[in-house]
Amino acid sequence: MKHLKPINQKAQRIEATLQNDVVALQQGGAPGTGPHIPLGCSFVFSPGWEVDSNGGTSGLCQPVERDLFDCHITCFWPAQVPDLYNHAPDWTAKCASAQKDWRKIDLIFP
Amino acid sequence: MARSVFAKCVGVPLVAALLSSGSEIAHAQRGGRGAAGQATGGAPRDTTTGFVIRDKTVITNCGDCHTRDSAGYMQRISYERKTPEGWEMSIRRMASLNKVDLDPAAARTIVRYLADNQGLAPAELRPGRFEVERRMIEYRYTADPRTETTCRACHSMGRVITQRRTRGEWELLVATHRGLYPDADFQAFRRGGPAMTDSGVAVPHPMDVAITHLARAFPLRTPEWAAWSATMRAPHLEGSWLLSGSEPGRGAFFGHVTVARGAADGEFTTQASYRYADGGPVVHRTGKSIVYTGYQWRGRSTDPATRARDSVGLREVMFVEPGWEEMSGRWFTGGYEELGMDVSLKKFGASPVVVAMAPRALHVGSRAQDVTLFGANLPRTIAPSTVDFGPGVTVTSIVRSSPDSVTVRVNVDSAAAIGKRDLYAAGSSLRDAAVIYDKIDRIKLSPVSGLARVGGVVFPKQLQQFDAIAYYNGPDGRADTDDDLEIGRVNATWSLEEYATTYDDDDIKFVGTLSPTGLFTPNLDGPNPARRRSRNNIGDVWVVASYTPPVPKARPIKARALLIVTVPLYVKFQPWQAQP
Repeated sequence: MKHLKPINQKAQRIEATLQNDVVALQQGGAPGTGPHIPLGCSFVFSPGWEVDSNGGTSGLCQPVERDLFDCHITCFWPAQVPDLYNHAPDWTAKCASAQKDWRKIDLIFP
Repeated sequence: MARSVFAKCVGVPLVAALLSSGSEIAHAQRGGRGAAGQATGGAPRDTTTGFVIRDKTVITNCGDCHTRDSAGYMQRISYERKTPEGWEMSIRRMASLNKVDLDPAAARTIVRYLADNQGLAPAELRPGRFEVERRMIEYRYTADPRTETTCRACHSMGRVITQRRTRGEWELLVATHRGLYPDADFQAFRRGGPAMTDSGVAVPHPMDVAITHLARAFPLRTPEWAAWSATMRAPHLEGSWLLSGSEPGRGAFFGHVTVARGAADGEFTTQASYRYADGGPVVHRTGKSIVYTGYQWRGRSTDPATRARDSVGLREVMFVEPGWEEMSGRWFTGGYEELGMDVSLKKFGASPVVVAMAPRALHVGSRAQDVTLFGANLPRTIAPSTVDFGPGVTVTSIVRSSPDSVTVRVNVDSAAAIGKRDLYAAGSSLRDAAVIYDKIDRIKLSPVSGLARVGGVVFPKQLQQFDAIAYYNGPDGRADTDDDLEIGRVNATWSLEEYATTYDDDDIKFVGTLSPTGLFTPNLDGPNPARRRSRNNIGDVWVVASYTPPVPKARPIKARALLIVTVPLYVKFQPWQAQP
């Protein structure tokens, strides 16, 4: 950035951000060096459970409670969220809105 | 989490269709031999002979659904081999989804019988030890990356490689997944595009590729299992064992474990006592265990001093080496089994034996350095000349000695060669006991990438412990080459830094705290109104360690690791109800 000067607001925000390492804003990378996904994390990204497809959390659906029951109803994260079909058909009974009543959500041991 | 509407619409009818095809394959198994049904893609029919089930508890409790034929083969059950955890998960599924009414004693008997008679041989389990020891390691399954991609979409490959099945059973496993979890088709099992290429060659779906690979790589019958099951028996582990290990965040510890026979063959009770090299009181633990398949130690131990507030204690998962002289593994606890220690046990008799020393790293030119050797049956009076650290290290005196530890005072020559040293003491030897070094070139964090989960209100927290490990770069002066020398764990200063992935990234304010010993404790679960759009207290941060070597004019050495602080798991396929 030594020879570049920000001339609009977005560029100024980038410059401010560069006080730290900017990792996810980088494009490409060496061949074969995809994002690192820790062991035990789901590799299904839409946008992801533990991490997004960049290996970070910034792209996740947030807060998770906002969309939790949709994950449950569609059985989209079978190893992360109990499913409506088989393992926990009554999971939402105590909690009409996960975003409001999230303290009533049970941990399921199938 | 944007998902396909199509997936939602087809889910239920697909379950019915798949369960129907699954039952056809299951039906083809009836009769004992030839576990395969209609093999996918024209693959040859698998005529592998299953295992005859002789246990009355299994027959009585499982026989209503899993028909046993006149030769003793039971549908599905006869054609699989698994770890105790694998069998227990199957039984839990039978109870939760198929309404099997099992009392805990019967469940324990079934797990024990099946794990003993249809388990994994030691050589078969070894690559998958991380799974049963619940280790968060960087594992890649290189034998077939396509199969890895299919399976790890949802779970660890460890679950896969710790099973053995006939081809028909691998097909049924996939069918069960498709029946229970219909989105799996769209997420991992089936591909898009035409069924054939322009030249008429069929292109298999990922699930078919996986079935073909798994049937070949992890078949029911193997030479390893044939050999192991011929000699397998309840092991004789009674006696005295030397305990050595290392706990992330705390360092090395040493002690003894007395193993006594339990109520039945293969069951044991334990009394352990150990102390950490960095000091502190002696820790005592009492426990009990079952050894499955002749070598898979599964136990639980508690510390009497903390039992009132910690009734769960530590899970013990160890691998008993053939010969019954050594075992090793992990003792762990935590909401996600994330806290624990590596342990190694070595049986000892009447002869002197040394298992470890602390401190292990000795600086060249150091004078009057006290080093403690840990072991058993060590002589009360020992001459300095009988303790040999090899070239460049001189034992000047014995500071103190007892049967389980000897502290010696050493001088290290300023010209001593850099490298590891074997130790010979009081008739016992220990390979690579010490490391002679002249400088710390760098530190590296373990793990290099951590994972924590918010919790504390409804769900448990997943903590993450970091360690700073010092290295000497070796004669080539370059990091991460074969001649690098690991000097060992050092006490670093810890801090968090933002890992900026968005404009105005502020994760560091919310994710949690890092203790002076490198233990990260995440913040509470639930939406946080103080964050933009009420985000959870999740985020990505750098964990930074700084260490200044204790030498004149030394400058701080820094290293960092990426830490992902993420959301809880709302479902846990957790075994261990039937184990101690």
